[in-house]
Amino acid sequence: MKTASERYAALVRLVESRTVTRVTPPLLLPAAPFFDLAGEEFGRNLLLTTASNGIEYCLRPDFTLPIAKSYLDDGLIGVPAAYTYLGTIFRQQNGQPVEYEQAGLELLGQADASQALDQVLTFARWALAIYDVTAPSIRLGGVGLFEAFLEAAEVPPAWQARIRHRFGHPEALQRLMERLAAPGEVITGHAPDGRETVIEIVTDAMLSAGLSLIGSRTPEEIADRYLEKQALDAARIPERTVRLLQDYLSVAESAQSALDRIGAMCQAHGFDFEEPLFQVRNHAAALAALSPKADVIFDASFSPRLDYYTGIVFEMAGDEGDILASGGEYDRLLTRLGAPEHVTASGCALWVDRLEKEATR
Amino acid sequence: MSSAGGLTLAVPSKGRLEEMTRKAFSSSRLTIARPGGARSYIGSIKNQPQVTVRFYPAAEIARELIFGGVDIGVTGSDLIHEVSENGEENVLFVRGLGFGEANVVVAVPDAWIDVQQMVDLADVASDFRARHGRWLRVATKYVNLTRRHFAKYGIAEYRIVESAGATEAAPAAGSADLIVDITSTGDTLAANSLRVLEDGLIMSSEANLIVSRTADWTPLRKAQLEALLSIMGGVPAGISTLL
Repeated sequence: MKTASERYAALVRLVESRTVTRVTPPLLLPAAPFFDLAGEEFGRNLLLTTASNGIEYCLRPDFTLPIAKSYLDDGLIGVPAAYTYLGTIFRQQNGQPVEYEQAGLELLGQADASQALDQVLTFARWALAIYDVTAPSIRLGGVGLFEAFLEAAEVPPAWQARIRHRFGHPEALQRLMERLAAPGEVITGHAPDGRETVIEIVTDAMLSAGLSLIGSRTPEEIADRYLEKQALDAARIPERTVRLLQDYLSVAESAQSALDRIGAMCQAHGFDFEEPLFQVRNHAAALAALSPKADVIFDASFSPRLDYYTGIVFEMAGDEGDILASGGEYDRLLTRLGAPEHVTASGCALWVDRLEKEATR
Repeated sequence: MSSAGGLTLAVPSKGRLEEMTRKAFSSSRLTIARPGGARSYIGSIKNQPQVTVRFYPAAEIARELIFGGVDIGVTGSDLIHEVSENGEENVLFVRGLGFGEANVVVAVPDAWIDVQQMVDLADVASDFRARHGRWLRVATKYVNLTRRHFAKYGIAEYRIVESAGATEAAPAAGSADLIVDITSTGDTLAANSLRVLEDGLIMSSEANLIVSRTADWTPLRKAQLEALLSIMGGVPAGISTLL
């Protein structure tokens, strides 16, 4: 039987293994990049302090962002990097400050994204093994898969964007699906106005309200979305496609049969979806090989709420459902932070306190 | 707050809210006295020596009620929800007092003819940053209420710009794209060419008589509270189990 400090020492060894570089970003970080990246929703969890010059700082709430940012700031684009970390993060929850010990891996700019993800899964698996978690419940989700699905199902592009933006927001997505499923109101006797006319009307309204025509939404943007809305109402998604979408989003079962079922429903709808599914199948198989006792679920509607996730995402939970590890692929992170080109990124974060609790259960 | 008993009542310190609060109390034959006039922050109720009256700004009253600094108070229900994320768990709303009515609403420039509902706002927010290189900005002094309402509609892609006053001018001033603010008649919004979204009502608020649940409720003070509330139109059912 190992002791807590032995387990921790083993975790340190994992984090400091030879193929990775352990980094420790400062405890006090400028808050603006976190707000810029994750918005108000995440920002409410930060512990903030303001310098006398008005600049806001926060106690380190997460490792991914400062690590990705210094990779960029140090001009390392194009250089494959593997960073690990182990340390405290600070958040507020229900108005109370909380501290967690977090460990994790960040793989940036790796040439083989698929191999990188398997490396991330292996890392998480090893970390769980240190804490004697050999049969976690693993939930897989496919952000990239959903995007490919919307395209393959021939959902009109304007709707694709709307649906995609709500992925990972269960209530918002549910509401949109209800809107799509509702019988369309037929708009009659109302020919869409000419774009120029609409732009003019909006421009007049903005000028008389004293609004800048360039500082916020522009008249063109408003007019285009107005006309697009009219067009969307006219070009509704066919009912059977809406049903297919709903069926897809409701899939949540053991990975193998979930992916088979998605393949079959696409087949029945008249298109072949095996190629996009292939990637997910591979990773699910790799996971099954890594931890034969784990319960691997594919949940088609599962996605973190942050929009920089791109490919496969995962969560590993313990006996009582506590999330012990989570991560995935987030190729949009570096471009969000200002990278001039596409940089692959994948990684995971481990909740050390919960792992320790699991070990002593 | 001493074990010897005694209650602290918080009353809005100025303006129409103070005036209407006094009226509400005097209609129950409770006359609030403010011996030092408007500059004084302490007062009393005639024939109720166990009650100390303190005059605070309305937002301060909400904070004091939530943290148990005062026992009873009159303030807007919106402020209880705004001052702390779980403020309403720490207080007991005794009753609305029929004044200080106002709605907290989401309002956009009237020129946004494509935006009628929160779903439209969700669409606009989702690609705003890609178009403009910054987040959609919402000016408000109701930070918590805004975050909660926007989260309910799955809108995460925005930033709050805290505004101390004249929130309705923020879009024209260029410091925000839309606002969340309080309105009683809608006139101020209309004068600033702003329009409330169809489902943009975040909450309806009015001045409430509110009891702090976090104050130190000894049996004696509870009895004193119930006595005072019964003069003011009744003790809410089950109050003793809630304190």
